Amino acid sequence: MSKDPKRMTNTRHRPDENFEPYEPHRRIPWPLIAFAGALGLWGAATLLDSRQDVAAEQAERLVADNLKTGQNSEPGSTLFAARCATCHQPDGMGVRAAIPPLSGSPFVAQGPELIAKILLRGIDGPIRVNNHVFDGHMPSFASTLTDSEIGELASHVARHFGESSQTLSATEVASLRGPAGEDSSFKGGAEIAATSGFSLGDQPAFVSVSAGSLAPEISSLVFSGRGEQWACASCHGDLGQGKETTPRLAGLPADYIVKQLDDFAQGRRLNESMRMVVNTLSDSEKRKLAEYYADLRVPSNARPELGGNLARGEELALRGDWSRNVPSCFSCHGPSGFGVAPEFPALAAQHAAYTTNQLSAWAGGHRKNSSLALMERISSELGDADRRAVADYLASLPPVPAGTSEKTASIGDQP
Amino acid sequence: MTQPAERPEAGPTDPAKGRIARGWIHAAGAVVIIAAVGALAYESGLIPSPQAARQGMGSTTAGYFQPPTDDQIPDDEFGAAVRRGQAIFMNTSTNASEHVGNGLSCSNCHLDGGRQPYSAPMWAAWVQYPKYRSKNNQINTMEDRVKGCFTYSMNAQHSVSGGPPPAGDDIYRDLQSYFYWLATNAPTNRKMEGVGFGKVEKTELGYSPERGEQVFAANCSVCHGADGQGQKDINERYVFPPLWGPNSYNWGAGMARIDTAAAFIKNNMPLSQPGKLTDQEVWDVAAFIDSHERPKDPRQKGNTIEETRKRYHDGDEIYYGRTVNGVLLGVGTPDPVHPVASQE
Repeated sequence: MSKDPKRMTNTRHRPDENFEPYEPHRRIPWPLIAFAGALGLWGAATLLDSRQDVAAEQAERLVADNLKTGQNSEPGSTLFAARCATCHQPDGMGVRAAIPPLSGSPFVAQGPELIAKILLRGIDGPIRVNNHVFDGHMPSFASTLTDSEIGELASHVARHFGESSQTLSATEVASLRGPAGEDSSFKGGAEIAATSGFSLGDQPAFVSVSAGSLAPEISSLVFSGRGEQWACASCHGDLGQGKETTPRLAGLPADYIVKQLDDFAQGRRLNESMRMVVNTLSDSEKRKLAEYYADLRVPSNARPELGGNLARGEELALRGDWSRNVPSCFSCHGPSGFGVAPEFPALAAQHAAYTTNQLSAWAGGHRKNSSLALMERISSELGDADRRAVADYLASLPPVPAGTSEKTASIGDQP
Repeated sequence: MTQPAERPEAGPTDPAKGRIARGWIHAAGAVVIIAAVGALAYESGLIPSPQAARQGMGSTTAGYFQPPTDDQIPDDEFGAAVRRGQAIFMNTSTNASEHVGNGLSCSNCHLDGGRQPYSAPMWAAWVQYPKYRSKNNQINTMEDRVKGCFTYSMNAQHSVSGGPPPAGDDIYRDLQSYFYWLATNAPTNRKMEGVGFGKVEKTELGYSPERGEQVFAANCSVCHGADGQGQKDINERYVFPPLWGPNSYNWGAGMARIDTAAAFIKNNMPLSQPGKLTDQEVWDVAAFIDSHERPKDPRQKGNTIEETRKRYHDGDEIYYGRTVNGVLLGVGTPDPVHPVASQE
């Protein structure tokens, strides 16, 4: 049986000395043509689709720019509604015992220049406004707003809440920006009063919280890694600022970071690289790393980059979509997206690609470590466009004003 | 075939094999084309996604009255009052600062700014007043009703002014403007679908704070804290409201009654997952929450708890004046040294 066929073949096809290999002409099979056609069509349609998105986005920006350049009667008011109102409230009244009012504030009354300085540097320390002392934690907008935006915003706030008629130009704002890395936050009302020379009433003294220098063994984990393992900074950046799908760690609540590290180790959150790194860490190392990152006050390097509809993103973040039982992001993650430890991470200035990735992972069942399956359910209610919209909006927010220590640093600084 | 001059036919020696292979290629091609066209249609929205379908079906506000959206607030004097009213509603402790003696806002219980059905939406409340209420045995106007909210739910007794806004105060005008505007096109004097907090049928087992403690730990503590005192962000701003203790509603509030709290929880909690808890769990956890001490009933004045219970809480599902674990409830939390959030 095994030999026969070979012999048969040999007898049937005798070797022919004149034989030339040839391929008879055959038409390309129609499925292949149709397949190529369909792919081409698909590609063209996708291109067209994304071009429409880009066009819509450009139109939106144009409208926003028009508002900014004063073609609208109230320049800066849109920016105020989007960037300031979640804390200081649309009417500028602030929140009792938490957020200082702008209305009637002696700081605002000094005019747009001081307001711009505060916007650029943020505040980390106690501040007295209208006889109330607030434990000030205001983010710096230096990394998320342009000079002209800061100028418009400061002028709007000064005009609207301080009855000042001065306006601040982009060039004037540019001159207020300190050299990179030197824009540390104001240490409360006392420093603002001291550096501005304005009379701002009796301001509470800033009590320095000892920064507690970074222990060498933790520093080596962050910047060199242990043995063969990656250093944290090799993916998350020198300052925990993250990039694309690697999350920003700076300013996340320490308890949240520890929980995630434990979840990676226990397989409750799936990521092979993180699992390998975390398995080499002791509990005390996890805690120290988490505290290090939680305290970092680092400028944002996140930008809206997914072409999401920012207005829709703002809607979801601030008000939610109750028709689908999707509460606003901020109703749990805090009114400015600064997070609530230990369950709710900061969202402000998180990278859009990372945020959408996580939302998709929850919706698709690949991430399952949120309490009560809150995020699993909410994510599954959000379509792709909504995920991109909300991720882009969150990426546009100023970073968490974490820590009251002197660890402020700018991107690119080496440790 | 055996003639050397004759060219052998191209392809496999077995013609049937070729047909099968060709069939497979065609089938695979067809599948890919259908997939590509299908993906195109899905992308362009021609095919409704399962998500879109679910949006329609699972919608929690579908079938209920639709109040207007914020962008429809008129740009005039009335609209300004609506906006002020909305600001008071969302941020009560700041914008009605003198009359709020705890850490709550109207919008903590009236979700989505007073829009959400079965979280006592203001559009449904507006069309029910004036109304007789046995709570104070008189006809109540909306102002009277809101005054009650300040007195009990907002614990005005510990506020700077020590009481609710006086009659005719602008706070009432602005809040009522907001409610009236939310009820645009709603039928007056009709019980609307979604009014109040709804109702939860009593269970055979009754309610038990002991069972409720476990329900609370499993479903509520992640947001409201293991101690029920709510949670704040880094600016000391309440993100999740306190459910008992000195910063919560007092013993005279509707939410201090177990049946009211149970209905609210059933229809609204946990946030984003209403209806998750069974009726039994809802009764138990409401009993657990409302079996903790909270600010005293401001109507008690010089009377004993026993007298106050008889006079104001007779027949209510409430722990006021009852003894739980050997502790008499209704004594109230200690009065703050200074009024809540007074100036320094």
